[in-house]
Amino acid sequence: MATAVSPNPKTEHTSGVAPLRAGQGHEFLLRRLHSLSGIIPVGAFLFEHIVVSNAQAINGPTAYANQVRFLGSLPFVLALEIFGIWLPILFHAGYGFYIWYRGQSNLINYPWMGNWMYALQRWTGGIAFAYIIWHTYTMRFTGVDLHDHPGASFGKVQLELFNPAYFAFYVIGLLSASWHFAYGIWLFAAKWGITIGERARQRFLYVCMALFLLISGVGLASITSFRSHQQQPTDPAGAAVVEHSQVK
Amino acid sequence: MAEKTVKLKIKRQTGPNTESHWDEFEIPWKPGMNVISAMMDIAANPVTKDGKQTTPIAYDSNCLEEICGSCAMLINGKAKMACSALVDHFEQPITVEPLSKFPIVRDLAVDRSVLFENLKKVKAWVPVDGTYDLGSGPRITPQQQEQSYPLSNCISCTICMEVCPQFNEGTGFVGAATISQVALFNDHPTGAVLKEERLHALMGDGGIHECGFAQNCVESCPKEIPLTRSISRVAGQVMIQSIKDIFSS
Repeated sequence: MATAVSPNPKTEHTSGVAPLRAGQGHEFLLRRLHSLSGIIPVGAFLFEHIVVSNAQAINGPTAYANQVRFLGSLPFVLALEIFGIWLPILFHAGYGFYIWYRGQSNLINYPWMGNWMYALQRWTGGIAFAYIIWHTYTMRFTGVDLHDHPGASFGKVQLELFNPAYFAFYVIGLLSASWHFAYGIWLFAAKWGITIGERARQRFLYVCMALFLLISGVGLASITSFRSHQQQPTDPAGAAVVEHSQVK
Repeated sequence: MAEKTVKLKIKRQTGPNTESHWDEFEIPWKPGMNVISAMMDIAANPVTKDGKQTTPIAYDSNCLEEICGSCAMLINGKAKMACSALVDHFEQPITVEPLSKFPIVRDLAVDRSVLFENLKKVKAWVPVDGTYDLGSGPRITPQQQEQSYPLSNCISCTICMEVCPQFNEGTGFVGAATISQVALFNDHPTGAVLKEERLHALMGDGGIHECGFAQNCVESCPKEIPLTRSISRVAGQVMIQSIKDIFSS
């Protein structure tokens, strides 16, 4: 069809924003993977980690130990950790920082709600990532190994939560991660063409805010449980006692 | 000097690669004055506030009724159409700057040809040229007309691109205006023949995926075009197309 051909006076673009590179590059794929990875598996893991597993802290040290033992006993647990959690988080965060770096926030001149959320999504992502790195390092890679001694889990978390600075970091990390996830789902629906209409997006925003309240609420309740119990043992012998005592 | 005046502070530069500077003006107030008419008054007597003779300010404008899209500029820091920016609505001195994301030609005149290039890349037209009469096109339902008409109101002012945090030299994002035109022409029964090509174009670097959904575009559009709706719809079309591509290529 001759009419489908672009009228083609080639103009030079030497400065300013480059025109669309139609048919070039792989950023579409990477960007969509970034978006998807935020929900599956990273977001799904966040939900499991806070609303399912760590909520067991509310049922006390032994229930918590049982949950940790169950997770540690999953088949291929290291592969699950590497390919289901660590690499997806590293990809999501790495590409996220790249997106953040290339954006040009302009809140001062355009302080609109969506623009605030745009900035907040980047900051919460950054804070959550800093928290996750520290949290993974202290919980998974230092101190008593919780795969070997699930009974020590409750006490190990308590050691951190009884420190006021770490406690604050937990709360900030929790709120950042749950906000980033909840608003990320909203962004996902808008950017993948699921919530097309203005009102649909408004309604879905309420759903996502409810999810934020759920995750952060359960997370805060779990944190409170850790702090309201006496310090539990973290040594192997004490851990064995915690693990095998009756659930209250 | 009992007369009411208007103070303007205008960012100027004589050419694309020269240093910029600010000129301040104080001119007599007139009822219903807008930023363009103020600059017309300056052109009639191009003297700065300190009495220094200068040149008239260069800017793009044409229709003076917010329909040609030429006179977008930063007024008190925000991208606006200068012709519909009534001076009575702004705090003085009114600062006027060229759009910040486009190469400057002179003073307030900028080169916005990137939008035209983008519209060409996505083939934002209905292909009807040919060697014989194609006859009348298919009927467009009133419901479809209702959806398309607002999108056809785009005046190519580039304000949606200027205010977009993702539209910059790093990303080379295509911008909301072009995406909305894709929505418009994909909906058109004859224009739909190019739908696949348009969607493929938007998958290229700088395409629709660069949207960060800050929604500044829809907030600032002088024609109140539902740009986020267009972006979301076209993003869905692009996703469906990409999945089709996986299974049919």
